[in-house]
Amino acid sequence: MKTIIYTCPYVPAEWIAAHGLHANRLLLGRVDSGFSPARAEGVCPYVRSFIGEVMNNKGADGVVVTTVCDQMRRAFDIIVRHCDIPVFLMNVPSTWQTLAAQKLYVDELKRLSGFLVGLGGKSPSKDTLAQTMLDYDDTRTSVRLAREHLSARRFAEAIAAGGSFKGEAFGDGSSGSGHPQPIRQAQGSAALEAATLRVPLAIVGGPLMRADLDLFDMIEQSGGRVVLDATETGERGMCPKFDRRRLREDPLPELAHAYFAGIPDASRRPNNELYRWLKRELADRAVRGIIFRRYVWCDLWHAELGRLKDWSDLPVLDIDSAGDNAMDLPRIQNRIRAFLEMLQ
Amino acid sequence: MTHAPERITLEEWDVQYEKLHRAGMREPRYGGPLSRHVEDGDHRLGRLRYDNSAAALRLWNFLLTEEDRLHEARAAGNKIVGTMKDLGTVPVMAYCFDNVTAFYPDGAWWIPCVMEGSDGSLEVADSLGIDESFCPVRAMLGAFVTGAHFPIPDMLICSVGATCDDFSAIAQRLNGLGHPIFWWEIPHRRCPERDEAGVILPGGLTAPKSQVEFVESELERVKAALEELAGARLDDERLSAGIAQANRVRQYLAELRNLAFTAERCPLPALEMLIAEMLAIHFCSDRPETIAVLGELLEEVKVRANAGLGVLDAGAARIFWVNPVADLQVMNLLEDCGGRVCGTEYLFTHALDAIPQDVPPLEALARCALADPMAGSSIDRAERICADVRRFGAEAVLISRIPGASHCALEGQVISEVVAEQLDIPVLEIEVPPVTDSMSATLRTRLEALVETARCRRRTTQGIRRSG
Amino acid sequence: MICAGIDAGSRTIKVMLIDADSLEIVGKGLADQGVEQDKLATSLFRRVLKSNGATGKDVAAIVATGYGRNAVNMADTTITEITCHAVGVHHLVPEAHTVIDIGGQDSKLVRLDGAGKVRDFAMNDRCAAGTGRFLEVTARRLGVGLDALGRLAAGSRRPAAISSMCVVFAETEITGLLACGTGREDIVAGVQAAIAARIVGMAGRSVEPPIVFTGGVAMVSGMTTALQTALGQAVTVAPEPQMTGALGAAILASKRLREATA
Repeated sequence: MKTIIYTCPYVPAEWIAAHGLHANRLLLGRVDSGFSPARAEGVCPYVRSFIGEVMNNKGADGVVVTTVCDQMRRAFDIIVRHCDIPVFLMNVPSTWQTLAAQKLYVDELKRLSGFLVGLGGKSPSKDTLAQTMLDYDDTRTSVRLAREHLSARRFAEAIAAGGSFKGEAFGDGSSGSGHPQPIRQAQGSAALEAATLRVPLAIVGGPLMRADLDLFDMIEQSGGRVVLDATETGERGMCPKFDRRRLREDPLPELAHAYFAGIPDASRRPNNELYRWLKRELADRAVRGIIFRRYVWCDLWHAELGRLKDWSDLPVLDIDSAGDNAMDLPRIQNRIRAFLEMLQ
Repeated sequence: MTHAPERITLEEWDVQYEKLHRAGMREPRYGGPLSRHVEDGDHRLGRLRYDNSAAALRLWNFLLTEEDRLHEARAAGNKIVGTMKDLGTVPVMAYCFDNVTAFYPDGAWWIPCVMEGSDGSLEVADSLGIDESFCPVRAMLGAFVTGAHFPIPDMLICSVGATCDDFSAIAQRLNGLGHPIFWWEIPHRRCPERDEAGVILPGGLTAPKSQVEFVESELERVKAALEELAGARLDDERLSAGIAQANRVRQYLAELRNLAFTAERCPLPALEMLIAEMLAIHFCSDRPETIAVLGELLEEVKVRANAGLGVLDAGAARIFWVNPVADLQVMNLLEDCGGRVCGTEYLFTHALDAIPQDVPPLEALARCALADPMAGSSIDRAERICADVRRFGAEAVLISRIPGASHCALEGQVISEVVAEQLDIPVLEIEVPPVTDSMSATLRTRLEALVETARCRRRTTQGIRRSG
Repeated sequence: MICAGIDAGSRTIKVMLIDADSLEIVGKGLADQGVEQDKLATSLFRRVLKSNGATGKDVAAIVATGYGRNAVNMADTTITEITCHAVGVHHLVPEAHTVIDIGGQDSKLVRLDGAGKVRDFAMNDRCAAGTGRFLEVTARRLGVGLDALGRLAAGSRRPAAISSMCVVFAETEITGLLACGTGREDIVAGVQAAIAARIVGMAGRSVEPPIVFTGGVAMVSGMTTALQTALGQAVTVAPEPQMTGALGAAILASKRLREATA
């Protein structure tokens, strides 16, 4: 089965899968993964890593890039010039409130379909799409349900695993779909008590890379626990539950609506929905501190730091990363430690 | 023209001013000696070198009095519209209304340069979390917070989508500070697919009809918002008339650019050409006066070109300039190093190309908006640059990176590669922050090296021709 | 009994000894940091003890802080320098609401609540441009000592604009400015303004006074003025600005001791 790689949460995996292709939403590796632009200064480390991943990827049959971020838009130009893998640039509108923007998103999905068909995919029937959407919806539900039973890192990994997550390999080694052993039974009451004593935190920002998952461990080692992963690769970037009635009536509009309207992001204009979502989630989970995670040279998120600090009553810790994990690690550990000392 | 053209300092301009007055120069009401603007805090003016013509004086005075005009417009009861990012489209509509004055708050990016940092706008941006890792347009935030420059607009209209991230982020920060913004979407321009109808855009680009229709629908929303603000309707007839006026400006600029970039001797310095081109975007808050200013400038250049006169040496290296500079002084520096600007791409070529007048007016504007070099790929931009390099006979390309600008980091690489592939001429990238005093030695070395390289290749080519 | 705080910074090690009960300072010392951090810290610690007529047996608790704190094996525990600076400053200047600490290789801004607890903080520990390193480079390039920088800056009429975000390129800029005939006064003032601007960036829109300045850079003349100009508010240099971290660590050691024995 041919594989389509992408990173953006606005690319519906169901759409790719319904075309009979394998949707592989990448969790990127390190930034020095093979692409050296003429200049590194000014280039977002995540984008550098993405370009490197695409250039070195042996298994991908197609790449989907979106316009959500300007640097990714430019990355498309680099990839087109230097890589033989077919690549599609999907225009995801920044405005989201108008019908025209919503229609543009649907039109782009249809255009993406043309690209996927060109790679050997098959334009899905309504039934095929609907069933695929239901499968993915169920998987996401499993993942969400698993949150309370998994460590924050494991939960982040489960989200990243996306469609391949089937309730497998909880900490207790149980497998099967849908009904994992509760963590208290799996790990004992001491672990539960320890987890409860940790300071509940949110991590907010754009996408994380694989090495960034160490952050979750660092936070736990310092006495915190991430109860809200509001990064692009975390819960925030997950499509909300489908309206099953609408899905059965006409799956494509429901798919478009859920993704386009349902995933809040800093790149939206205006991006108030992001703050509405955060307000609700932060309150629901009794978060006591926010870890704001951004890449150096990511303007979209960097600009939100000041606003987040103005907006939130919670303390906010800024973690800026140039993507060089070896250099970043001690700094980040120190900051997290200081943050938890403050909160404790 | 009553004197030999040359570049002169601000002090020399005071002397020149007296001479021109004695010779009968007539000035508009915003006229006067350039040096008076330094008293307003525009310290950078004291370090620049200027063209010595009355036309150039009028151009500079026109530019440097824009804030006054905006305040006057506010006092007269006009609605002030701050148009952001689209660089040339929305003002064409705005100026169709008698009681609306439009300007680009983006232009505040030059305030730190012109005032040499004394304005404090960058510090205000710092305090809002928008530091030097962002484009210098962050000064716009400072200008809004202090209110010390332009009047706070009655409406802000900002294009987003296929735009640069830092401007988008800065605009969103402004929005977050309590300034409502009317957002409109410009999609990423692409080529039509096989089964799509295509439309030719100004500048020779193509786009799918569906994209033009989308942008037209967005401009329809913008028009409706302007109508509500102005309390008047904008019908096709009025809009067509506005387009015709905008095209007069673009026509003058087209002639000016062609003359300035192709004349044997450079008839107008790069700095004045940059200012002149910028007038195409927003008419410096006075469209009829823009036409008059450009008309006078064009006349001066025609006279000089016809007489074979210029402000630089005949052998100046012909350099195509990509991207606008945050520090105006760098335009002087290239000429000090023996170069001359023969061709420019300041990220608003869509504001220089004529707006079609053979299609319904809103569709015409939509086609122009979609031709924005920022809206398409860097490859498209590079192709246009190559075409213009050929047209103007440039010998080298200079890409001035805007520090912190999200598109510059990777775009420069693409442009360099395409130029090298197609034209095999030298390409140099430099970074130009708002104040380059401390880097002038480094910049000078690079520019001199580029000029030397261009001249050396010229000699080599001539040598090959002679021996062939 | 004595409680000790050891601040193993990136450039210097500081040791502070206080009376476990009264919190009075009993002894203090400072030494350059090096490769063998634990050995250097231990050596300094012993010297300070000896010079104050004490031995290791008199020390009831040790807290290490700073960049190299985990290398200090004799410490009972480690606490970050943010917390320690806050505690140290609160002890010296109880009314302080904002602490600005600029060291050799990092800078931080810490906001305190009324009880002296850390409410919020921001750090620059990735880029040398907002740190003492920038001043060192400048002083070296200009051929002057750090102690001369304030005098030079005071004579500036037009601080030079330093554009580079990176101190390496900024050094090139300084060379360029000198070549253009820019006075040393204006260069120093420009560098100090650039460092202060970074602090403003960390501070955000409001900085609650009183503001206390700590760290080695607080002892560099002219920096307090530069900060005051940038912030538009009065800035006070902490007594013993280099030692506040070690003092805070010692106070926290005392607190831990009381909690353990209670």
